[in-house]
Amino acid sequence: MSEAPVLVENSPVDAAALREEVKAKYREVAVEPDGDFHFHTGRPLADRLGYDRAVVDPLPDAAVESFAGVGNPFSFGSLGAGETVVDIGSGAGFDSFIAAQQVGPTGRVIGIDMTEEMLDKSRATAKAMDFDHVEFREGLLEAMPVKDGSVDVVISNGVINLCADKALVFSEIMRILRPGGRIQFADIANGNPVPEAATRNIDLWTA
Amino acid sequence: MMEQSGFVDVEIGPPVDTFGGAGGEKNARAFAVSGYAFKARKPG
Repeated sequence: MSEAPVLVENSPVDAAALREEVKAKYREVAVEPDGDFHFHTGRPLADRLGYDRAVVDPLPDAAVESFAGVGNPFSFGSLGAGETVVDIGSGAGFDSFIAAQQVGPTGRVIGIDMTEEMLDKSRATAKAMDFDHVEFREGLLEAMPVKDGSVDVVISNGVINLCADKALVFSEIMRILRPGGRIQFADIANGNPVPEAATRNIDLWTA
Repeated sequence: MMEQSGFVDVEIGPPVDTFGGAGGEKNARAFAVSGYAFKARKPG
């Protein structure tokens, strides 16, 4: 890579309006995962992003079909047994369930999401999989319902770019991580500058 | 942005053609958008 990719900086869009647009879009992904979206979803997407089929194939459809990530947060390595993990923007729980297998029953995974339909789906799947060490909490990335310094690893996949105030999100991640803790996440970044007019257009954030 | 937030040892993985063949491909190509994996550590 000749130049480092650039995460889109904070934007002047209305944060609450953007949040409602994002909720509406991902409500569709939860309820109608085979719908027509501008991004890939489900098992074909997991294949495209390089997830290990030996890990993905055994997962139930409900855990995979609404997956809409943009990369593989585990490409830097597996999580450790016993670690406490927070998956921010956990959606239907795809990455949370992979993390749960990696940390094992002595570890803990907390998924955070703001979309009710995604939370319903991820909680039902965790129950069906008998994953007692996984829970899903309703919350925003800008105000995570997690104690200070209580987390070994934060993971995320394609969600931080959907937040208007990314500096606040990274500040929250820093708050919940223990000293020496780490973040492993995937997100989109652009190689060409995005015109300011485009960054103000909420429709372009989710379309 | 991550370093400004206090993270250290920031690593970035290779680009992934996340939107290729999807409806969002045209916009992704226009702004050279790809998916990336990132890793960083909180000091301590």
